[in-house]
Amino acid sequence: MSDSLEARLEGFLLSRLPGARAVKMISLERSTEGFSQETFSFLVEIHENGGASRRAFVAKRAPVAGLLEPYDLEPEFRVLNALSDDPLPSPPTPWFEPDPAVLERPFYVMERLPGQVPIPAPKPDGSGPLDPATRAALTPQVIAALARLHAIDWRKRDLAFLGAPRKGNDAALRELARWRERIEATRLPVPAVMQETLGWLRRHAPATDETTLVHGDFRLGNWLLEETPGGVRLSGVLDWEMVHLGDPLEDVAWCTSLLWRAGSPLASGLVPPSEFYALYAQASGRAVDPERLRFYELLSLVKMSAIMLTGIRAFRDGRTPDLRMAIFDHQLPFLMAGLAVLRGFLPAPAE
Amino acid sequence: MLIPPEQLIDGCVRTLLETVLPGIESRFARGQLYAVADVLRNLRDRVEEKSAGLELEAQSLHDSLGRAASALRATGETAAYDVALRIDHSLAAAPTAPPTARLGALRTVMASTLEAFDGLSEDVTKDATSALGGHFAAQAVREVMLLKPSLLSEISKG
Repeated sequence: MSDSLEARLEGFLLSRLPGARAVKMISLERSTEGFSQETFSFLVEIHENGGASRRAFVAKRAPVAGLLEPYDLEPEFRVLNALSDDPLPSPPTPWFEPDPAVLERPFYVMERLPGQVPIPAPKPDGSGPLDPATRAALTPQVIAALARLHAIDWRKRDLAFLGAPRKGNDAALRELARWRERIEATRLPVPAVMQETLGWLRRHAPATDETTLVHGDFRLGNWLLEETPGGVRLSGVLDWEMVHLGDPLEDVAWCTSLLWRAGSPLASGLVPPSEFYALYAQASGRAVDPERLRFYELLSLVKMSAIMLTGIRAFRDGRTPDLRMAIFDHQLPFLMAGLAVLRGFLPAPAE
Repeated sequence: MLIPPEQLIDGCVRTLLETVLPGIESRFARGQLYAVADVLRNLRDRVEEKSAGLELEAQSLHDSLGRAASALRATGETAAYDVALRIDHSLAAAPTAPPTARLGALRTVMASTLEAFDGLSEDVTKDATSALGGHFAAQAVREVMLLKPSLLSEISKG
């Protein structure tokens, strides 16, 4: 077998596609958007007895070092694979390959869905990333997708392996412990405002009486949008690296967090947060409890801080030469300012 | 800064030479890029974080911890008084120079104070936390003011 990535992927697909006699790579491109897993988008021609057809796929591979290390791709693969026939627009994901002999590191392959991912950043003129028509069309679809995600019967889909939290505040405490451990694993100094916040979160972990599938990274930047004659369509919900079982309001808080306002006062560039909560409550039939929301809003900034600290550590250790990890060193102060605002030590900037 | 400036510079040089250079065909542009690398390599051992910023943070830490200790004593609670005493002793013991040593010592006092708060009730620590919050806010503003507009969008688009 050739050592090229193209040839290895061709060989892999040939072994997995029933009836395929040959697979030829037409194009292969590495994505620049993701900062965590390596993402390869490719188009292949598949030769079968009846002729040839073209199919587009995406391969997600564990990086040598990254923001969510240590990497284990299998849980998210199992979730995506289990949801492949669900109306939720998650990418159908048929194959996982844990053997590093195939592509150097574990990877999984999903079907490439149509559309583009808008980058969650302001436009050059300072306006938000989505125009008003897109926002109006997209908002109900995003809300419906989130409500659908939280309505999935994870027991029936055999997703209990993700580990269900106990009743009470276990879901909140477990997530807090998960991110605290990641922060401690970096062995980097914890900024004082984050240390204070961690203490507050431990003392105020809210109880929830329901456990749902939680995407963990549901927000602008992980939505695939397709332009159709009828308007923009949410064609895919991507990046399931942080999927787990927990409190559904964790996703609501993450999606509406200060992190994803993209230079606007709008939650994920869509609607004001208060409107997002009301629409979600209406679509899901679930009350958006302000105390739980407050906990997860703060946890969102802690999560992102932990992710950045992990990247900084990987760069400091020389495990990655990727300078994108180094920029987190000067992004982190924004998160600390956000924590100071949410904890009430600093007034919120005027919007 | 969690990454030392010299390591950031080394990373920039490595990226320029190993990632950017192979994609550049113009001979003039390649020459300019080598010149940038040369400048950066010779800069690495001459730069360090500005001491003025470290001194401002240290002063802010010292003042807020002092106010927190006063607030704890004012509660009249024995456990809070003990924490206040520890803060006072630690502040007095912190070295006055060099700036990095002073800042390191004061950050340690802040960390141990916040740890101690975990063992006290929120009613007792409320005013002291508010005093420390003054430092959190001031430090956050100081650091954000130093940042340049983000190129994250361009970095993501490639």
